[in-house]
Amino acid sequence: MSPTDISTIENKYYYVLTVCSIVLAVGCLIISEVIMNNHKKHYPVGAKVKKPPIVIVLLSVAGIAVVPFLVLVVRKYLTSVSGNYKTLLTTAKLLLQGFLYSFGIFIFTIIFSLPLGLVVAAGKMSKIKTISVFFKVYVSVLRGTPLMLQLLLVYFGPYYLFGVQTGSIEIGPFNYRFIASIIGFSLNYAAYFAEIFRGGIQSMSKGQYEAAQVLGFSKMQTYFKIILPQVVKRVLPSVGNEIITLVKDTSLAQVLAVTEMFTQASALASAQVSVMPFIVAGLFYYLMNVIIETLLGFLEKKMSYYS
Amino acid sequence: MNILEMHDIHKSFNDLDVLKGIDLTVSQGEVVAVIGPSGGGKSTLLRCATTLERIDSGKIVIGGDVLCDTRDEKLHYCDKKMLAEIRSKFGLVFQNFNLFPHFSVRRNITEALIHVHKKSKAEADEICNSLLEKMELTAKAEEYPCNLSGGQQQRVSIARALATNPEIIFFDEPTSALDPELTKGVLNVIKELAAEKMTMVIVTHEMSFARDVADRIVFMDGGVIVEEGPAYELVTNPKAERTKAFLAGY
Repeated sequence: MSPTDISTIENKYYYVLTVCSIVLAVGCLIISEVIMNNHKKHYPVGAKVKKPPIVIVLLSVAGIAVVPFLVLVVRKYLTSVSGNYKTLLTTAKLLLQGFLYSFGIFIFTIIFSLPLGLVVAAGKMSKIKTISVFFKVYVSVLRGTPLMLQLLLVYFGPYYLFGVQTGSIEIGPFNYRFIASIIGFSLNYAAYFAEIFRGGIQSMSKGQYEAAQVLGFSKMQTYFKIILPQVVKRVLPSVGNEIITLVKDTSLAQVLAVTEMFTQASALASAQVSVMPFIVAGLFYYLMNVIIETLLGFLEKKMSYYS
Repeated sequence: MNILEMHDIHKSFNDLDVLKGIDLTVSQGEVVAVIGPSGGGKSTLLRCATTLERIDSGKIVIGGDVLCDTRDEKLHYCDKKMLAEIRSKFGLVFQNFNLFPHFSVRRNITEALIHVHKKSKAEADEICNSLLEKMELTAKAEEYPCNLSGGQQQRVSIARALATNPEIIFFDEPTSALDPELTKGVLNVIKELAAEKMTMVIVTHEMSFARDVADRIVFMDGGVIVEEGPAYELVTNPKAERTKAFLAGY
């Protein structure tokens, strides 16, 4: 008997079971929410509320009721044309390898684009007209054209414009595809970060500069001791937003055939005629962003010692 | 000895003449209150004296050092080194405090001592402690400004201005952002400083305070000094019509 034959019989019941268990899970969540709302009334406002046992039971039931659904998804994959446990493991392995490249692009972009953004912001606010106009155009162009196009330009530009052979360029283990994507991402994200920094710097009251000036702080001291630390706190939420976008944007390196996670997922998906690789890749992206969110939350909390 | 000398100060913003030839001299230990209606040029005068604004013409001397001078119709400002020297000779207390919110009270006071005046941390802490004691804020040393009342914040900013042991302190409407009760605390601190013969220039709208604490009152309106004289006399018996009209409002 082939796997498909088993499922035709079982599936009918299994679908019913899945639907029922999801209804059960939702029901449990609603009931526990109602109980909790009633229960909270016995506590003073703001106090930590202890969950009554019945709520804990209901939440556990809801958690267990999701299992049939997950089983269904995995079963579907395993009973598909190419799917079995082995391919699932290989998929995860290949995606993880891709993830390392995605993470590499991400981390190098952060390292280069944040300081570059500061430079661009300073340039845009420069009193020297030529400099400020240059950086205004820079920001305008990089924000106003597709990132994908910029990546292609960084990769192919040196050859088509200047005849430079980029194929042989290598820095350590990184080929020019990888390097070009990092350059492209860094230049692009620097433009966005620059605007965020500029907003932060210009939101500082004039009084902070004046107080520092009268106390005798030099311009450098004023910037690095008084202004920047306050700006960091102000821009953190917006910078966090961009960082999370960057995690997902690394998938654009696909156009340069960098073997990052999304490239791998696309290849695997078409080879296996399955959507599973995309789902697993999505989970990896999400997991990474959950970690980043947690770190950002931690940082924000750490900086909340003043308002 | 004169701590502050300002001669024939002119300052305009675009086409608006804000200061039209001001002469003001403050001698050591003297407390001068500058009063007058809003827009009369009081704050601008203070900002010019504290290097926050550049004047158009005139001469400013602080603690014997020439900040700027007009020779042959041309204004000359001193070089950077002298500017730093002059800035260490005065303190400025702002209307809205301008404390550094990300520094504790202690760091607000000691930061300039350590990084501008190159004092050791221990020395700076000692100065900070004695100033906080004077301001009755010893318990607040490690707090952040956002956790202090307006009056406490202003007292911290006075301590910050005093920390570098300046020869003169300028106050720019130090109590305008405070309610009457908090105002009292800040004015008491300034009174104490006056009793210690600290040289001070105070821009204020607190008329009774100016009368009681200042040695001399300068009444400014329309970019000129309309009238000046001993504090009590000017408040109780003003000579110029404009001064009379202004003081009648109090």
